[in-house]
Amino acid sequence: MNAFKRDKKEEEDGGGNPFQNLEKTTVLQEARTFNDTPVHPRKCSHILTKILYLINQGEVLGMTEATETFFAMTKLFQSRDVVLRRLVYLAIKELSSIAEDVIIVTSSLTKDMTGKEDLYRAAAIRALCTITDGAMLAAIERYMKQAIVDKSPAVSSAALVSSLHLSSVSADVARRWANEAQEALNSDNVMVQYHALGVLYQARKQDKHAVIKLVAKLIRYNPKSPYAGCLLIRMVCKLLENSNEGGELLDFIECCLRHKSEMVVYEAAHALVNLNRSGTREIAAAISVLQLFCGSPKPALRFAAVRTLNKVAMTHPAAVTGCNLDLENLITDPNRSIATLAITTLLKTGAESSVDR
Amino acid sequence: MDGQLLEPTLYTVKGMAILDNDGNRILAKYYDKNIFPTSKEQKAFEKNLFNKTHRSNTEIIMLDGLTCVYRSNVDLYFYVMGSSHENELILMSVLNCLYDSVSQILRRNVEKRAVLDSLDIVMLAMDEICDGGIILDADAASVVQRVALRTDDIPLGEQTVAQVFQSAKEQLKWSLLK
Repeated sequence: MNAFKRDKKEEEDGGGNPFQNLEKTTVLQEARTFNDTPVHPRKCSHILTKILYLINQGEVLGMTEATETFFAMTKLFQSRDVVLRRLVYLAIKELSSIAEDVIIVTSSLTKDMTGKEDLYRAAAIRALCTITDGAMLAAIERYMKQAIVDKSPAVSSAALVSSLHLSSVSADVARRWANEAQEALNSDNVMVQYHALGVLYQARKQDKHAVIKLVAKLIRYNPKSPYAGCLLIRMVCKLLENSNEGGELLDFIECCLRHKSEMVVYEAAHALVNLNRSGTREIAAAISVLQLFCGSPKPALRFAAVRTLNKVAMTHPAAVTGCNLDLENLITDPNRSIATLAITTLLKTGAESSVDR
Repeated sequence: MDGQLLEPTLYTVKGMAILDNDGNRILAKYYDKNIFPTSKEQKAFEKNLFNKTHRSNTEIIMLDGLTCVYRSNVDLYFYVMGSSHENELILMSVLNCLYDSVSQILRRNVEKRAVLDSLDIVMLAMDEICDGGIILDADAASVVQRVALRTDDIPLGEQTVAQVFQSAKEQLKWSLLK
C-alpha cells in the first residue's frame, strides 16, 4: 500500500526523483567504470553526482569503501572534461576526512593549481588545502604565496580562504603569509579585499599594537567592500572594548551610519548600541537609523532593527521611546518573530498613555 | 552586554539547505561541527524548519538559536543559517546569491525537477558560494560564471538528447527492478 502511494506521488511529481532509490552498494559498484580507458566524461560525471548526492543525504561510507572510491576517482584525472574535473575536486573534499592515503592526489592537484586554466586553479587550491597536513604544508607554501597575489580574484580568494582553514593545521600559517595578504588587500575585487582582511586579522589578533596599526590605516580610507566594512567595524569594537582611549575609533563607527550599503549601516548601529563605551549621542544616532529600518519593505531589515531595539530597550528604555509609534505598527507584522519582538520591546518602553492605541 | 558584540571572523554561515515541498532534503551543507553533528539531528532540524516556514513567506525566522533566512519558489525552499547574533543582512545577501545563481543555472526555471536534472552544477555553485562557513562569493553572476563551465563546447541539442536518453534509461531500469 505504502509503495503504491509513493508511486502515485512520484507520478504527480512528473517522473519523480531520479536519485530517490539509489543504493549505496550499487552506486559504489558503478564507480568501477572510472577505471575504463578512455574515460567517459558524461557517464562518470553522473556516477560522481550520485555518490555526492548519497553523501549529502547523510549516507555513511566506511573507510574501505571510501578509500576504494577515492582511488578509482584518481583515474579521472586523465580526462580534461571541466565538469568532471570540478566534481572530482568536490568529491576529494567530501572523502578526504574518511578515506586513507588521500595525499596521493597532491601532485595532480598541484599541477592543476599552477596550470593555465583559471577555472581549475581556484577549485584545485581549495581541494588541495583540505588534504594538506602539517608535514605537507612546507611543500605547497611557495605555490600558496604566489596564488594569494594572483591577478585572478577567484584564485586569490581561494588561497586566502584556504589559508584561514589551514590555521587549524598549523597555527602560524596566516602570520607567515601576511605579507602576501597585505598585498591582496589592495585588490579592486570586493571579496578578495574581505578575505585578505580576514587573514590579516587572524595573523595579528594576538598582538594588540599590530591590530591598532592595521585598523588606523584602514579607517582612513574605508574599504569599498561592504563585507570588509562589517569586519572592520567588528575589529574596531574589539579594540574599543578593551581600551579607554579611541574617540577616533568611535567616530569611525558613527561615520559608518552614513555608508551607502545597508549592511554596513546596520552593522554600525548594532555595534554602537552594544558597546558600553558609546554615549547618549551615539546611541541616539544609532536608534534613529534603526527607526528608519523599522519601516523598510524588507522583512529581514525590519527584523534586524526591531531585534536590536529590543536589546537597547533593556538598558536605555528612554532612548527607544521615540520609536514607539513605529514599533506599534510592527505589532501586526505578517512575520510573527517581528511582531513578538515589537511587543516585548513596547512592554519595556511603553507608558500608560499608549495603551489605548 | 557580553556576547552581543560579534567576534571579527570570516566564519559567518552555519549552513545552507535546499528542501523540496515535503520538507525533504535535496541538498544541505552544515559548516559548524558543533551544531547538529549527525545527519539525524540535521534532518530533524530541517523538518522543524520546514514546518515553521512553508506556509508563510516572511523571509526570516529564529529557530534553535539560529537565524534562518529563506525564500521559496514553486516546489523548492532555500535556506541560509547563521548564528543568532549574526548580521541578518549578510545572511540575506548569501541567500539571494544562492537563489539567483540556481535561477540563472536553471534558466529561470526554478523547480525541483530542474534542480535534480542539473544537480552537479547546483552542487558546484553551492561550493562556490560558501567554503567551510566563509562566504567565498556573494555575486550570483560571478558564481554562475565560475560554474557554467563553457557549455558552448557541447552543442545544446546534443546535450539535451544525452540527458533525455539518460533519464529514459534510468526510468526503464527502475521499472524493471520494482
